Amino acid sequence: MVEGKITNQLRTLRFLAGEMTQAELGERIGVTRQTIAAIEQGKYSPSLEAAFRIARVLGKSLEEVFQWTD
Amino acid sequence: MAWREKQAWLALSVMVVAYGVYFALVAGERRSMLAMLLLFGGVAIAQAVVMIVGSIVLAVRAGKEAQARADERDRAIDRRSARIAYFVLLIGMIMVGVVMPFSEQGWRISNAALLALVVAEVVRYGVVVVSYRRGWNG
Repeated sequence: MVEGKITNQLRTLRFLAGEMTQAELGERIGVTRQTIAAIEQGKYSPSLEAAFRIARVLGKSLEEVFQWTD
Repeated sequence: MAWREKQAWLALSVMVVAYGVYFALVAGERRSMLAMLLLFGGVAIAQAVVMIVGSIVLAVRAGKEAQARADERDRAIDRRSARIAYFVLLIGMIMVGVVMPFSEQGWRISNAALLALVVAEVVRYGVVVVSYRRGWNG
Protein backbone atom coordinates (compact mmCIF):
# COMPACT_ATOMS: atom_id res chain seq x y z
CA MET A 1 0.00 0.00 0.00
CA VAL A 2 1.20 3.49 -0.80
CA GLU A 3 2.13 5.26 2.44
CA GLY A 4 1.19 8.85 3.07
CA LYS A 5 -1.49 11.15 4.39
CA ILE A 6 -3.80 13.86 3.24
CA THR A 7 -2.91 17.39 4.28
CA ASN A 8 -4.77 20.58 3.47
CA GLN A 9 -4.54 24.34 3.26
CA LEU A 10 -8.03 24.92 4.50
CA ARG A 11 -7.19 27.33 7.27
CA THR A 12 -5.11 29.57 5.03
CA LEU A 13 -7.62 29.46 2.21
CA ARG A 14 -10.49 30.31 4.55
CA PHE A 15 -8.53 33.31 5.73
CA LEU A 16 -7.87 34.39 2.16
CA ALA A 17 -11.54 33.94 1.31
CA GLY A 18 -12.56 36.93 3.40
CA GLU A 19 -11.81 35.28 6.74
CA MET A 20 -14.59 32.80 6.23
CA THR A 21 -15.49 31.05 9.47
CA GLN A 22 -15.54 27.28 9.94
CA ALA A 23 -19.26 27.48 10.60
CA GLU A 24 -19.90 29.40 7.38
CA LEU A 25 -17.85 26.99 5.29
CA GLY A 26 -19.53 24.04 6.97
CA GLU A 27 -22.96 25.45 6.29
CA ARG A 28 -22.17 25.97 2.62
CA ILE A 29 -20.99 22.42 2.07
CA GLY A 30 -23.42 20.69 4.40
CA VAL A 31 -21.25 19.63 7.34
CA THR A 32 -20.92 20.87 10.91
CA ARG A 33 -18.36 23.38 12.17
CA GLN A 34 -16.72 20.57 14.14
CA THR A 35 -16.23 18.54 10.97
CA ILE A 36 -14.48 21.47 9.28
CA ALA A 37 -12.30 21.81 12.40
CA ALA A 38 -11.53 18.07 12.27
CA ILE A 39 -10.58 18.31 8.57
CA GLU A 40 -8.27 21.25 9.27
CA GLN A 41 -6.57 19.35 12.08
CA GLY A 42 -6.12 16.27 9.90
CA LYS A 43 -8.46 14.27 12.14
CA TYR A 44 -10.90 13.52 9.36
CA SER A 45 -10.46 12.95 5.64
CA PRO A 46 -13.57 14.23 3.87
CA SER A 47 -15.37 12.30 1.17
CA LEU A 48 -14.43 13.14 -2.40
CA GLU A 49 -17.73 14.94 -2.82
CA ALA A 50 -17.20 17.09 0.28
CA ALA A 51 -13.62 17.82 -0.84
CA PHE A 52 -14.88 19.04 -4.22
CA ARG A 53 -17.54 21.15 -2.52
CA ILE A 54 -14.94 22.76 -0.27
CA ALA A 55 -12.67 23.51 -3.22
CA ARG A 56 -15.56 24.99 -5.17
CA VAL A 57 -16.71 27.20 -2.29
CA LEU A 58 -13.14 28.47 -1.85
CA GLY A 59 -12.73 28.98 -5.61
CA LYS A 60 -9.72 26.68 -5.83
CA SER A 61 -8.84 23.40 -7.49
CA LEU A 62 -8.96 20.26 -5.42
CA GLU A 63 -5.17 19.98 -5.30
CA GLU A 64 -4.78 23.55 -4.14
CA VAL A 65 -6.84 22.67 -1.09
CA PHE A 66 -5.82 19.06 -0.44
CA GLN A 67 -2.43 17.45 -0.94
CA TRP A 68 -1.08 13.94 -0.62
CA THR A 69 2.05 13.99 1.55
CA ASP A 70 4.46 11.03 1.55
CA MET B 1 -16.84 19.41 21.85
CA ALA B 2 -19.41 18.31 19.25
CA TRP B 3 -22.94 17.85 20.48
CA ARG B 4 -23.00 14.26 19.26
CA GLU B 5 -19.80 13.55 21.17
CA LYS B 6 -21.40 14.94 24.34
CA GLN B 7 -24.39 12.70 23.75
CA ALA B 8 -22.10 9.69 23.39
CA TRP B 9 -20.31 10.63 26.63
CA LEU B 10 -23.65 10.86 28.38
CA ALA B 11 -24.86 7.49 27.06
CA LEU B 12 -21.53 5.85 27.88
CA SER B 13 -21.44 7.23 31.43
CA VAL B 14 -25.05 6.35 32.17
CA MET B 15 -24.63 2.85 30.75
CA VAL B 16 -21.47 2.15 32.78
CA VAL B 17 -22.92 3.49 36.04
CA ALA B 18 -26.40 1.96 35.69
CA TYR B 19 -25.30 -1.51 34.71
CA GLY B 20 -22.21 -1.38 36.89
CA VAL B 21 -24.60 -1.00 39.84
CA TYR B 22 -26.92 -3.71 38.49
CA PHE B 23 -24.21 -6.32 37.97
CA ALA B 24 -22.54 -5.47 41.29
CA LEU B 25 -25.85 -6.06 43.09
CA VAL B 26 -26.60 -9.25 41.17
CA ALA B 27 -23.13 -10.64 41.77
CA GLY B 28 -23.10 -9.65 45.43
CA GLU B 29 -26.22 -11.42 46.61
CA ARG B 30 -28.21 -14.43 45.46
CA ARG B 31 -31.65 -13.27 44.25
CA SER B 32 -34.72 -14.86 42.73
CA MET B 33 -35.38 -14.36 39.01
CA LEU B 34 -38.28 -12.06 39.86
CA ALA B 35 -36.09 -9.93 42.13
CA MET B 36 -33.48 -9.66 39.37
CA LEU B 37 -36.16 -8.76 36.85
CA LEU B 38 -37.47 -6.01 39.11
CA LEU B 39 -33.94 -4.75 39.70
CA PHE B 40 -33.30 -4.73 35.97
CA GLY B 41 -36.59 -2.89 35.40
CA GLY B 42 -35.61 -0.26 37.94
CA VAL B 43 -32.17 0.20 36.43
CA ALA B 44 -33.58 0.40 32.90
CA ILE B 45 -36.17 3.01 33.91
CA ALA B 46 -33.55 5.05 35.81
CA GLN B 47 -31.26 4.86 32.78
CA ALA B 48 -34.05 6.01 30.45
CA VAL B 49 -34.99 8.93 32.73
CA VAL B 50 -31.38 10.13 33.09
CA MET B 51 -30.83 9.80 29.33
CA ILE B 52 -33.99 11.75 28.48
CA VAL B 53 -33.26 14.55 30.97
CA GLY B 54 -29.57 14.63 30.03
CA SER B 55 -30.34 14.72 26.31
CA ILE B 56 -32.78 17.59 26.81
CA VAL B 57 -30.21 19.56 28.84
CA LEU B 58 -27.51 18.93 26.21
CA ALA B 59 -29.87 19.85 23.35
CA VAL B 60 -30.90 23.10 25.06
CA ARG B 61 -27.27 24.02 25.72
CA ALA B 62 -26.24 23.13 22.17
CA GLY B 63 -29.02 25.26 20.67
CA LYS B 64 -29.01 25.30 16.87
CA GLU B 65 -26.32 22.61 16.66
CA ALA B 66 -28.67 20.04 18.17
CA GLN B 67 -31.11 20.50 15.31
CA ALA B 68 -28.51 19.89 12.61
CA ARG B 69 -28.68 16.60 10.77
CA ALA B 70 -25.81 14.16 11.09
CA ASP B 71 -23.16 14.97 8.50
CA GLU B 72 -20.85 12.54 6.69
CA ARG B 73 -18.35 12.41 9.55
CA ASP B 74 -21.08 11.69 12.09
CA ARG B 75 -22.44 8.92 9.87
CA ALA B 76 -18.98 7.44 9.27
CA ILE B 77 -18.29 7.34 13.01
CA ASP B 78 -21.70 5.82 13.64
CA ARG B 79 -21.10 3.08 11.06
CA ARG B 80 -17.67 2.31 12.48
CA SER B 81 -18.92 2.05 16.06
CA ALA B 82 -21.90 -0.12 15.09
CA ARG B 83 -19.69 -2.47 13.07
CA ILE B 84 -17.22 -2.99 15.92
CA ALA B 85 -19.99 -3.36 18.51
CA TYR B 86 -21.72 -5.91 16.29
CA PHE B 87 -18.77 -8.28 16.57
CA VAL B 88 -18.66 -7.84 20.34
CA LEU B 89 -22.37 -8.67 20.53
CA LEU B 90 -21.91 -11.61 18.16
CA ILE B 91 -19.22 -13.16 20.36
CA GLY B 92 -21.34 -12.53 23.45
CA MET B 93 -24.39 -14.14 21.90
CA ILE B 94 -22.41 -17.18 20.78
CA MET B 95 -21.23 -17.62 24.37
CA VAL B 96 -24.72 -17.15 25.74
CA GLY B 97 -26.65 -19.18 23.19
CA VAL B 98 -24.21 -21.93 22.29
CA VAL B 99 -21.70 -22.41 25.09
CA MET B 100 -23.45 -21.50 28.35
CA PRO B 101 -26.58 -23.70 28.03
CA PHE B 102 -24.35 -26.77 28.52
CA SER B 103 -23.05 -25.65 31.88
CA GLU B 104 -24.92 -22.74 33.40
CA GLN B 105 -28.25 -22.04 35.08
CA GLY B 106 -30.98 -19.86 33.57
CA TRP B 107 -30.33 -16.74 35.65
CA ARG B 108 -26.65 -16.77 34.70
CA ILE B 109 -27.52 -17.16 31.04
CA SER B 110 -30.02 -14.30 31.04
CA ASN B 111 -27.59 -12.04 32.90
CA ALA B 112 -24.79 -13.02 30.54
CA ALA B 113 -27.03 -12.04 27.60
CA LEU B 114 -27.68 -8.70 29.26
CA LEU B 115 -23.96 -8.28 29.92
CA ALA B 116 -23.20 -8.96 26.24
CA LEU B 117 -25.67 -6.25 25.24
CA VAL B 118 -24.24 -3.79 27.74
CA VAL B 119 -20.63 -4.48 26.72
CA ALA B 120 -21.54 -4.08 23.04
CA GLU B 121 -23.23 -0.74 23.78
CA VAL B 122 -20.30 0.43 25.89
CA VAL B 123 -17.94 -0.48 23.06
CA ARG B 124 -20.17 1.34 20.56
CA TYR B 125 -20.26 4.57 22.57
CA GLY B 126 -16.59 4.19 23.43
CA VAL B 127 -15.67 3.98 19.75
CA VAL B 128 -17.83 7.04 19.04
CA VAL B 129 -16.08 9.05 21.75
CA VAL B 130 -12.60 7.95 20.69
CA SER B 131 -13.38 8.64 17.03
CA TYR B 132 -14.51 12.18 17.80
CA ARG B 133 -11.58 12.79 20.15
CA ARG B 134 -8.71 11.28 18.22
CA GLY B 135 -10.03 11.51 14.69
CA TRP B 136 -11.47 9.28 12.06
CA ASN B 137 -9.73 8.80 8.74
CA GLY B 138 -11.29 5.54 7.62
